[in-house]
Amino acid sequence: MQYPEPISKLIEGFMRLPGIGPKTAARLAFYVLDMKEEDVFDFGKALVNAKRELTHCSICQHITDTDPCRICEDQTRDRSVICVVQDSKDVIAMEKMQEFRGQYHVLHGAISPVDGIGPEDIHIPDLIKRLQDETVQELIVATNPNIEGEATAMYISRLVKPTGIKVSRIAHGLPVGGDLEYADEVTLSKAIEGRQEL
Amino acid sequence: MHIEQLTYENYRNYAKTDLTFDHNVNVIIGENAQGKTNLLEAIYVLAMTKSHRTAKDKELIRWEEPFAKIQGQIKKRTGPLHLEVVFSSQGKKVKLNRLEQERISQYIGALNIVMFAPEDLRLVKGSPKERRRFIDMEMGQISPIYLYHLSQYHKILKQRNRLLKDAYSKSFDDAMLDVLTAQLIPEAAQVIRKRYDFLNKLQVWANDIHEQISRGLEHLKIEYVPSAEVSNSMNLSTLEEKLQEQFNSVIDQEKRRATTLVGPHRDDLRFIVNDKNVQTYGSQGQQRTVALSLKLAEIELIHEQVKEYPILLLDDVLSELDDHRQSHLLSTIQGKVQTFVTTTSVDGIDHKTLNEAELFRVENGEVVKKK
Ligand SMILES: Nc1ncnc2c1ncn2[C@@H]1O[C@H](COP(=O)(O)OP(=O)(O)OP(=O)(O)O)[C@@H](O)[C@H]1O
Ligand SMILES: [Mg+2]
Ligand SMILES: [Zn+2]
Repeated sequence: MQYPEPISKLIEGFMRLPGIGPKTAARLAFYVLDMKEEDVFDFGKALVNAKRELTHCSICQHITDTDPCRICEDQTRDRSVICVVQDSKDVIAMEKMQEFRGQYHVLHGAISPVDGIGPEDIHIPDLIKRLQDETVQELIVATNPNIEGEATAMYISRLVKPTGIKVSRIAHGLPVGGDLEYADEVTLSKAIEGRQEL
Repeated sequence: MHIEQLTYENYRNYAKTDLTFDHNVNVIIGENAQGKTNLLEAIYVLAMTKSHRTAKDKELIRWEEPFAKIQGQIKKRTGPLHLEVVFSSQGKKVKLNRLEQERISQYIGALNIVMFAPEDLRLVKGSPKERRRFIDMEMGQISPIYLYHLSQYHKILKQRNRLLKDAYSKSFDDAMLDVLTAQLIPEAAQVIRKRYDFLNKLQVWANDIHEQISRGLEHLKIEYVPSAEVSNSMNLSTLEEKLQEQFNSVIDQEKRRATTLVGPHRDDLRFIVNDKNVQTYGSQGQQRTVALSLKLAEIELIHEQVKEYPILLLDDVLSELDDHRQSHLLSTIQGKVQTFVTTTSVDGIDHKTLNEAELFRVENGEVVKKK
């Protein structure tokens, strides 16, 4: 079907979002056309601002509007443990469960030669730098329990082990091949309890 | 198990088909290029979620149509079961009792089939790839855990091969290769161990059947030919140790050739009849008998494992077998294995079987029951 250019551009925009196919994108686009102009304007501004005003924390790489982020700034948190996760949304999932009181390190990805992603592409050098400070004594690797996440965990473990820092991997309750994001909170907290040394 | 009802839509050269089966032997008859193999293939796809003759799912969708859908109502020892497979531009979806399954390995095995098609005569003579495909397909049906390890293995292998392609670049990281090797080894050991176990069992049935078909003159042995120095007697941890040793010794060669050189993806099967390798020394007839023995052995093995006979699909092969082999095949299925046979003519098919069979005539994507 041939749409006028502004509409097809909007449809294309929606299709870049995860889980949205051409049909849904078209439905959303036509919905937007029927919205009040000020609502559309607010929505557009929210999109742009979220992108502009959020950066990655210079310490942990979590998305934040202040640098360092609130978690890194929080003096009451335990600075001897760092939990390594793949995505910022994993930090949010962990924080919701309110069990973990240490620091985070967000990789923004996992090692995958097939996708051209190596260790230096996912903030592993930054992590190693953070470990040079004596305060860190334990690393919990909470990358996704799929092949890329496991490889990333093994790689980090091999790198860090010789420094004497304890490295553990969350172990139980997570569906094999699944994403951390989909695990419910109960399974997540079990996973943290049952962590194993790598 | 039995297929009671088979329906498909926008599949191959069929618009819409709805068939019920209440006989053990079903003969599908028609001229060339009318859709006989397509019908058998539909049953195969319903069981395996992919075709036996193409790797491209898209080819299953009727030309100019957006999707293809195959459904089956199955009667099993454990109760009725409804299966559904849909192919579209968004990929494939599978449902068990109308419930979508996220992983294919949860679906495969619900319906067990054994197919014998002209291509299977190549099992002995063809490339190692075809023999690996044979063993993977057969094992996948009875062991979801095998399928799981095999797919993990292939995913890691793909990563490792990709990494090896950059072995001579500046950024190449040996620690990363070690990690992928360490990840690959336990999966490789699982796949190899399970293949040995499967072949040990298949061997017993296959030899038994082969001796019967050859009137006691020939003995059949199936050998696993591993690319690594491993053997049937090794347990998982020994297999892992051996594989690690092998990887250590081929690492430079792997970097040079930019690919993984040991592991189940390079293993093969060998068929020995009376102490001679049939692949090199066997006559055409002997190779055909080996292929038949293997297929009949599979039927028995599936029965042993899942306590139920699979469905047998015979595409164009009945007329290719001589009377003796044909009657052996037919006596095996007699009254216990639901069978679908395609043929261009009923000449050359055993009369008794034909009398008990239900006939379906296929013409240009239409199926009519004849009695
Ligand atoms: N995706 C498709 N859409 C429409 N028609 C298709 C599609 N794929 C295959 N066909 C047609 O299906 C027919 C082949 O059917 P099939 O392979 O079942 O033949 P057959 O009856 O087994 O013949 P033979 O006796 O030669 O083996 C061909 O005419 C082919 O063009
Ligand atoms: Mg055919
Ligand atoms: Zn931070």
